[in-house]
Amino acid sequence: MANLTIDAKAQNTYDAIVIGSGISGGWAAKELTGKGLRTLVLERGRDVRHVTDYPTTMMQPWEFEHRGQLTKEVKDANPIISKCYAFYEGTQQFFVKDAEHPYIQEKPFDWIRGYQVGGKSLMWARQTQRWSDFDFQGPARDGFAVDWPIRYADLAPWYSYVERFAGITGNKDGLDTLPDGEFLPPHEWNCVEKHFQKSIAGRYKDRHVIMGRAAHITKPQPIHLQQGRAQCQHRTICERGCPFGGYFSSNSSTIPWAAKTGKMTLRPNSVVHSIIYDEQKGRATGVRIIDANTKQMQEFYARVIFLNAAALNSNLILLNSTSNRFPNGLGNDSGVLGKYVAFHNYRAGISAEYDGNLESTTDGRRPNGPYIPRFRNVYKQETDFLRGYAAGFSANRISRSNQSGLGADLKHSLLNPELGGWSVGSHMMGETIPKESNYVALDKSLKDPFGIPQLKISIDYDDNDDKMVKDYQEQMTEMFTAAGFKNIRLRDDHRNPGLDIHEMGGVRMGKDPKTSMLNKWNQMHAVKNVFVTDGASMTSTSTQNPSLTYMAFSARAVDYAVKAMKKGLV
Amino acid sequence: MAVAAGALINLPAWATNWTAETVKHTPNFLSSGQGDLLGDIAETIIPATDTPGAKALNVHQFIQKVVADCYDSATQNNVRNGLTLVEEQAQKSFGKPFAQADSAQRMALLTQLSKSDDAAQKEFYSLVKGLTVRGYMNSEYVMTNLTHYQMIPGHYYGCVPVPTKAVSQTK
Repeated sequence: MANLTIDAKAQNTYDAIVIGSGISGGWAAKELTGKGLRTLVLERGRDVRHVTDYPTTMMQPWEFEHRGQLTKEVKDANPIISKCYAFYEGTQQFFVKDAEHPYIQEKPFDWIRGYQVGGKSLMWARQTQRWSDFDFQGPARDGFAVDWPIRYADLAPWYSYVERFAGITGNKDGLDTLPDGEFLPPHEWNCVEKHFQKSIAGRYKDRHVIMGRAAHITKPQPIHLQQGRAQCQHRTICERGCPFGGYFSSNSSTIPWAAKTGKMTLRPNSVVHSIIYDEQKGRATGVRIIDANTKQMQEFYARVIFLNAAALNSNLILLNSTSNRFPNGLGNDSGVLGKYVAFHNYRAGISAEYDGNLESTTDGRRPNGPYIPRFRNVYKQETDFLRGYAAGFSANRISRSNQSGLGADLKHSLLNPELGGWSVGSHMMGETIPKESNYVALDKSLKDPFGIPQLKISIDYDDNDDKMVKDYQEQMTEMFTAAGFKNIRLRDDHRNPGLDIHEMGGVRMGKDPKTSMLNKWNQMHAVKNVFVTDGASMTSTSTQNPSLTYMAFSARAVDYAVKAMKKGLV
Repeated sequence: MAVAAGALINLPAWATNWTAETVKHTPNFLSSGQGDLLGDIAETIIPATDTPGAKALNVHQFIQKVVADCYDSATQNNVRNGLTLVEEQAQKSFGKPFAQADSAQRMALLTQLSKSDDAAQKEFYSLVKGLTVRGYMNSEYVMTNLTHYQMIPGHYYGCVPVPTKAVSQTK
């Protein structure tokens, strides 16, 4: 009997466990297996294999029963996920339905999730800007949250490392607010976007319009072909999964790469309940899961654990990992676990029309667009709000057909649209300030379908965000007007936090164990063999899309962890 | 065309062998008589010319499918009522079913409906017309033969001269 137990334990023991297979978990798995560690990857959702599990990827518009529209049944059953811009008839299979994983909105929060191998890396918006020292120095300079324990120079080589493998398109613009990377050729501008870029450059010294940097292969390198990935074909239906591997996802890239080492065991349908802490050894020894099919609890063991369950679920797992030593959640000596959660403010937008450049138009489609890096409060505090915002920008030539009347005339005008003027638009991406009052916690009574406490989410905008919305609208109006754009319309949709899908924090990094959960290696101050390298670890949010930074942190943390293991430190 | 330059991709069987079927399933939302009438209305809105009209492209089946699955029961009832009204109006004005009226009569009747003071009638007409236009423009025939939809453009050129004849590009 004793031997049987020992054998079973040996069978369930690995060198490393990675919790989650999304953008950061995929990277942790690739790096750990690449360094020779036998790695168990736990994924709470089903398996999604590259290409074969993208059922809608080759469907033509007319092959969708409702031509893309959601049915009333789906919308009524899913008021939250139906708000997501990427959720439609062709992508429904990759999003968590509202009833599948209930949570409590102490304040309105739209929690957008993808529970499957690959996580949200299948449906992400693929924007990949580096963060700069203006971001990493932000909390210290402006006196909020805590100082980041790293600076840009610590992360720069790891940005380069992940960019080369993932394949990032972009232009070297030489801006200190948005450091250049290892870029594949940039996407093309259209004439009106060029016009706007010139207009802004002529008017402002510190404002720039650049081509977006995105995880699309515009010119495959040998490393991409080795992954079985090919050039982006400009279909712009990325969220259905790409049979060409034209954009980066765990499914097309890191997970199959890790599998090729022979060192990875991928276990889908494994809902992580908690991390096991051994009080005698003073370290984490493994992970408890609930098998989603059998509902049985099971344990797996490893020397090192990477937590990559996506920001809020990583918080949930740590809060649910209690012991005598850590009654308030694993590693939570400071009491900050679950607190100082922040997100990106996407509330505002602007649109207008332009009647210049009528001799030109565009051909084909572009899975990317121009980008305006943050220009507010960069070098010094200059407004009545802290931090700033980046903005997306794009122009499109509109073709219109007269849809009045009926009969042969209507048919003729539908089939012979006239090219109209240009439509231009922008949306804001604002930094929000992490605050103790924006938090997640476990509910004391309500459980999810697996018997795990439900997450209670209490996150809201504040006065700083409102001021930022107003400033974005004023500044963009000025910039649009200067460029000759007409009929300017402003939008503030007051969307709930969460719909930006950039929630971050709760397990923040910091220099001081008294005020943070993780050190500069994303390693838990109090439990040295647990690393958190997803959005939960972020001390502040910057204005940039965060995924590339999660990738760089993951690769860097694995490098440190494996070296530390060899020295016997972990 | 730079399709998949530099790499061979093996697509699974379902991706290479799919057939371009349009909507095949007609739900029981309308009686077959009302379904036929809806087809005649759609055909009046977008008639056959030197190319097929809405009815030959089964646009009315698409409309039924979308109204049955994507709209609430009040809207569904309004579509049923609207169809009944069209038939009554045809009898009253022309002394024969809508299906047997000539195209000028049919167009006159629908034009009148579009200008109705009755909000429900106007709503019926604008819903059916909107879905007719959408179903037609998104049909395989139109996207393949007339507007030349490219699923895989393989490029984005930012500044090209306006072509002599514009073609629409729907996503």
